[in-house]
Amino acid sequence: MAYPMQLGFQDAASPIMEELLHFHDHTLMIVFLISSLVLYIISLMLTTKLTHTSTMDAQEVETVWTILPAIILIMIALPSLRILYMMDEINNPSLTVKTMGHQWYWSYEYTDYEDLSFDSYMIPTSELKPGELRLLEVDNRVVLPMEMTIRMLISSEDVLHSWAVPSLGLKTDAIPGRLNQTTLMSTRPGLFYGQCSEICGSNHSFMPIVLELVPLKYFEKWSASML
Amino acid sequence: MAAAPEPGEPGKGKPFKLLGILDVENTPCARDSVLYGSLGSVVAGLGHFLLTSRIRRSCDVGVGGFILVTLGCWFHCRYNYAKLRIQERLAREGIKNKILYESTHLDPARKQTNGGSSGN
Repeated sequence: MAYPMQLGFQDAASPIMEELLHFHDHTLMIVFLISSLVLYIISLMLTTKLTHTSTMDAQEVETVWTILPAIILIMIALPSLRILYMMDEINNPSLTVKTMGHQWYWSYEYTDYEDLSFDSYMIPTSELKPGELRLLEVDNRVVLPMEMTIRMLISSEDVLHSWAVPSLGLKTDAIPGRLNQTTLMSTRPGLFYGQCSEICGSNHSFMPIVLELVPLKYFEKWSASML
Repeated sequence: MAAAPEPGEPGKGKPFKLLGILDVENTPCARDSVLYGSLGSVVAGLGHFLLTSRIRRSCDVGVGGFILVTLGCWFHCRYNYAKLRIQERLAREGIKNKILYESTHLDPARKQTNGGSSGN
């Protein structure tokens, strides 16, 4: 989950998010070096006595500042496309969960074997127990098995919402009349928090998502207890 | 005694970010790359100045050296880091498979032994 005054990403809990973190580091280093170069050039321009007000052509420098940015952009684009295609790999999910966005809660359906469905409302601040997280806890968490590929089908019953879990690198719009799909795979057990990421009305900030990733046998016990 | 920081929280206040963007404390390879880049910058700039006594050009060489050395160290370190991560993942999955499938027909050690003996 996020901590106060956080600026960076949350720790990765899925292979895709790990790849995204590394891509972010790679791109940020390039941005840092370009920024350093630009700052240096600005300081040079502010302190030079040399001025030439009638330059007509500058073929060499124009070639350099065309080719070099193209190379830099290719260096950024190739890893980016690699991750993009990695996200769309065919991976035969073992479980399918449907989630519907409502104003202002999420509902979940596990219909692969039996009909299990429930709503997930945020716990109001006044009802939180000590140690629970404000604006993030829900009454019914989404319990899922860890280390298994899960298909999430996301839609909405009313207005646009967005189902997002940052530590798993997931964000998918919930659009009424449309079914969006994303796959989820967590490498470790734990609680993973997210919040609705598309403005949907007055309580848009108060419809969080909590995934509880557990070993398969605990998931089986939980799903049996919920039926 | 101060309370231990929450998991994921920076230990001593906000992390230090170069130019406000690059978190050198928590990004793997960032600190080493920037330090080597600084060293390369000083060596290149100073060396150029000692050879030519041109101050401005030496500063330009220093900045260019910083960028090139930082970039070179960064890619070298990240490539090795990526290889290490892949090896760690293979080792982890090998250990997990060994524990899961020991004494079954899916045991990786049994498959290797059968492969060796069938070659005889």
